[in-house]
Amino acid sequence: METSTYQDVNQHVVERCKGGDNRAQYELYKLYSKAMFNVSMRITNDYAEAEDVLQEAFISAFKNLHAYKSEASFGSWLKKIVVNAAINAIRKRRSELVPMDEQVAAEVADDITEDNDTEWQVENIRRAIQKLPDGYRVVLSLYLLEGYDHAEIGEILGVSESTSKSQYSRARKKLLEIMSTPHFAA
Amino acid sequence: MNDRLKDFVSEHRDDFDVYEPRTELWQEICQEISAKPKETTKVIKFSFGDSFSFSGDMLFMRVAAAIILLLGCGLTLWVTKQNTAEGNYTIAAANQPAINNIAPELVEVEAYYTSQLKDKREELSAYDMKVLGLDEKKDIDREIARLDSSYLQLKQQLLTTPNTEKVMNAMIQNLQIRIEVLNRQLEVLQKIEKLQKQPTTEEPLSDETNV
Repeated sequence: METSTYQDVNQHVVERCKGGDNRAQYELYKLYSKAMFNVSMRITNDYAEAEDVLQEAFISAFKNLHAYKSEASFGSWLKKIVVNAAINAIRKRRSELVPMDEQVAAEVADDITEDNDTEWQVENIRRAIQKLPDGYRVVLSLYLLEGYDHAEIGEILGVSESTSKSQYSRARKKLLEIMSTPHFAA
Repeated sequence: MNDRLKDFVSEHRDDFDVYEPRTELWQEICQEISAKPKETTKVIKFSFGDSFSFSGDMLFMRVAAAIILLLGCGLTLWVTKQNTAEGNYTIAAANQPAINNIAPELVEVEAYYTSQLKDKREELSAYDMKVLGLDEKKDIDREIARLDSSYLQLKQQLLTTPNTEKVMNAMIQNLQIRIEVLNRQLEVLQKIEKLQKQPTTEEPLSDETNV
């Protein structure tokens, strides 16, 4: 996890934040806002909503800082808050997070070949992820980019580990399909 | 399962974070968190017009409410206690006009006998108490006290019984008995005086004079 290296440095800053130090709070914000905003952005897929989530998450984090017991790094603690806030946001927006995937799964062709990995580009993958339906995008992002395993994703989304696994493999197929469409590269 | 996509993404993980939040967002967060403490400690505010307003947080208000409640209870208890005490007085005070209504002549009668009794007592006190038989004096005092308490009882009855004349007569009788008692006492004392002045002595009194 990309944030774990900051843990020892943060401990000091977090303590200052607990005392209500505004500059310490800004330090933490500066350190994490970009990464957290991208987490939020990948889940919500909407700039304004991602900002709302980020704001809500930081306020909630500063307010509940006493609950942070430094078992995990501050980054992963904060990320959990952001992820939960973002998922709540899209659940409010659309209530079809899990069910919708069944029908989409049927459309996914099985004959996508993976021998085109040499052409993979970060920008293409990123754009393709944005084109995924909510359910797929969330599972795929959490697994590929946020570093959660399927057990953790199951816990976050309130589904079983195997559901998370199958959702991911369908999402992955769908992603490759999107990227292989002729007009996508344009 | 070997996931080459996962490997590729992990390798280029940092390149995926392309978005940045607006720089103003921190200001908004900052405002919210600095405003938050005031909201979380709930402030209760009382205002009575423009002249008086009062505000405090939840804990302060709880303490204040407890104190006010205690004070209120204490005050209520104290006032009821005062009222019952005052109530006794008012009953006593109310007796006087009530008696004036029921038996207006009693006030005059009382005044007359009270002055009579006072005179007798003064006459009695003029005599040397050592000369007077001590036991006898105590008996008289006891008798007077008994008459006094029965007189007060009669006075109470006067307010409740319809037959005021009978009670009135009893009261007057009571007063007359007192005077009679005192008169007897005076007579006795006067006799003693006479006997003391004469050289001839009587047995029971010789003991007294020797004292």
